[in-house]
Amino acid sequence: MALMAKPMDKEQRGVYNNRPMQNNDILITGLGAISAAGSSVPETLTCFKDGRRNGGPVTLFETRLEYPVFEVKSIPEAFRRKGLRTISLALVAVDEALRESGLGHDLSKHRVGVCLGTTVASQLNDLEFYRSYRETGSAPMEPVDRYLKGNLAEYVARSVKANGPCLTVVNACSSGTDAIGAASSWLRSGMCDIAIAGGADELSRIPYCGFGSLGIVSKELCAPFDRDRKGLNLGEGAGVVVLERREFAKRRRVSTDLFLAGFGACADAYHLTAPHPEGVGLEASLVAALRQADVGPETVSFVNAHGTATPDNDQAEGKLLARMFGPGLAMLSTKGFTGHTLGAAGGLEAVFTALGLRAGWIPASPGFVNQDPNIPLAPVREITRIAGKYAVSTSLAFGGNNAAIVMGRRSAP
Amino acid sequence: MNVQGIGLLCSRGRGIHAFQQALLEGWREPARLTIKDRQVPVHTVDLEHVQDKSVLKKMRRADKLSKMAVLAATDAVTDSGLRPEEVRRLGVIVATALGAHGTTFEFLDGILDFGEAAVSPTAFSNSVHNAAASYISTALGIQGPTLTVTQFFFSFQSALQLADAWLHEGRLDHVLVGAIDQFGDVLGYIADSRLALAADGKIRPFQKSPGAVPGEGAAFFLLGNKEDERFYCRVSGVQFGTSANTPQGSGLNILDIDGMTSEVTWQAFETSPGARIAAYSPLYGSMMTGTAFSMAAGALMLKAGFCYANPVLDGAQNLPVVKEHADSSVDFMRCIRYNCANESSTIHLMKP
Repeated sequence: MALMAKPMDKEQRGVYNNRPMQNNDILITGLGAISAAGSSVPETLTCFKDGRRNGGPVTLFETRLEYPVFEVKSIPEAFRRKGLRTISLALVAVDEALRESGLGHDLSKHRVGVCLGTTVASQLNDLEFYRSYRETGSAPMEPVDRYLKGNLAEYVARSVKANGPCLTVVNACSSGTDAIGAASSWLRSGMCDIAIAGGADELSRIPYCGFGSLGIVSKELCAPFDRDRKGLNLGEGAGVVVLERREFAKRRRVSTDLFLAGFGACADAYHLTAPHPEGVGLEASLVAALRQADVGPETVSFVNAHGTATPDNDQAEGKLLARMFGPGLAMLSTKGFTGHTLGAAGGLEAVFTALGLRAGWIPASPGFVNQDPNIPLAPVREITRIAGKYAVSTSLAFGGNNAAIVMGRRSAP
Repeated sequence: MNVQGIGLLCSRGRGIHAFQQALLEGWREPARLTIKDRQVPVHTVDLEHVQDKSVLKKMRRADKLSKMAVLAATDAVTDSGLRPEEVRRLGVIVATALGAHGTTFEFLDGILDFGEAAVSPTAFSNSVHNAAASYISTALGIQGPTLTVTQFFFSFQSALQLADAWLHEGRLDHVLVGAIDQFGDVLGYIADSRLALAADGKIRPFQKSPGAVPGEGAAFFLLGNKEDERFYCRVSGVQFGTSANTPQGSGLNILDIDGMTSEVTWQAFETSPGARIAAYSPLYGSMMTGTAFSMAAGALMLKAGFCYANPVLDGAQNLPVVKEHADSSVDFMRCIRYNCANESSTIHLMKP
């Protein structure tokens, strides 16, 4: 690990190679994804095309609760790390993203940052360790050692020999989006040339019980934005993007149409668990992201919404999106394919948004049947062609955190 | 970026004056808590310091970690003199090594005692790492980006680095950056199992085996690019590497030696010949995020033109340590921390 915060004069802010930094100066040169929708980007696209939903009962741990989940059925052996499922998932997505970027897996010669979001992997919440401690006054230390060696960003940085800034974001359900935003700030500030960013989270019994206790989990497959939605389903996975300063990519003769145009994050300052009913923080996040991207809402071709399928989230988010983008907006929630993957959600949904821009289509929003009369906007019901150059992905989180990213492509698909 | 305000809460009390008093008074014997039939010395924050009916009025259900965070964050903003209209362009980054583990274990108690279907939603929502940051944004009405990060020993340094990027980028005018960590009985058990605790409660930073004494607390800094009479010091860089990489020559190296890592921190003595050495961890205890307290000490000293003596000098006979409180012309300080992998972080502080 090395580096640095090189002081800059105020006048140098946002200045890039003696010209103002443009909204397309941070390229997306690699995408990687693993979730219940597929163990790679191509598998995910096939799943989206087929409209297949791989939710079902929990098999990863013992439980008496009966909420369906979206599990990753198989992690390739080369990436499995014992007792570190979140990291294993992250390594799969990082590998795929790095392969696409052409950077290889030894990044020691470049200035590379790693910024990843998670929730489960950040907590020392091993139930058997704690049970043993409570009952006998002692407990095996393996879970503790594993935990202390399992900081997500640090582990990934070591595995690819990244030597730039390194950060694990633990901002609940917006962690992945916030991580991408933080990485873009590093790149804009010149702290690194490349950043591996996104999120990863495993399905764990602890949040499974916790979300159950909040009464926001559905016993059926989730139905984001539907009139009869009954709550979320938990899922797991990892979504990773490789971000790169344009000049650096140019030097290594890599070209891509995709770029990260803007990021915004704002707090509701309202409630620990409930979103602001008017979406105050989300609106401010979107305004900030669009401003940084230097585009107006009318240029956004689709929004990949947070869309958890909880009554509160979807109503606040749906109303705001309709107000900002108009009722004709093409909008979807991919959580019907993946479940709510918590700290991974922002990373996965950023990848899915980039894929939509690249492929020129977005899938039908799974689970949606009937429009909610309280939400003046309906998600897309079928595979929908996308013609524009910009798309948005949003995240809302516990704690009143909101984050939005704007992605672009240089030429329309 | 500049340190414009500081808020602190540790075993020695709340506020910068309590911390300055601790720096002047020196080491004080910590509390002893019983952890599974063993007495463990801990620099614990007394609950009487975590009470404030005005600041905490909407936090009845919050845990101690969140309350400590809100108090220190509020004090930092107050200390900075930030005007209400400036809060619009203020962000928050909370750094924590271990998060709300006390509340996490309380939630696990619920699963074990009452079953999966009867656990407390309050315990769950307060156990997430970003609960404290959420309470801060709500208490202070901050609607800028509010982030929580964790990087174990380098959590605080990484948060500073991101704050620097946000300010450079022009995303915000000010960032409230803080470090929080908490003691609990499970952590006491882990510390007792994995660390050599100082039986007499005294961390001896300049001995080969300093001994650890767990601590807890919160330290927040209001950072921005403004320069006025309240300005403590400039944070001129945050550096990570395999050695301290400090510039040669004069200055003060504030070493975060607290018995949690091996004696690799001693390398710092060799990388910066001519510099003097201080370590204040005996005042507030061993914490992965303890560097935030070191930085607070550095900021206070740079502003005041004063150096506080090391609180514990055992083993420092042949080292260039600060032995007595004295006026100082030092205009450059470095807060140096190593992790268990022998990697270092250095926060560079400069006089206003």
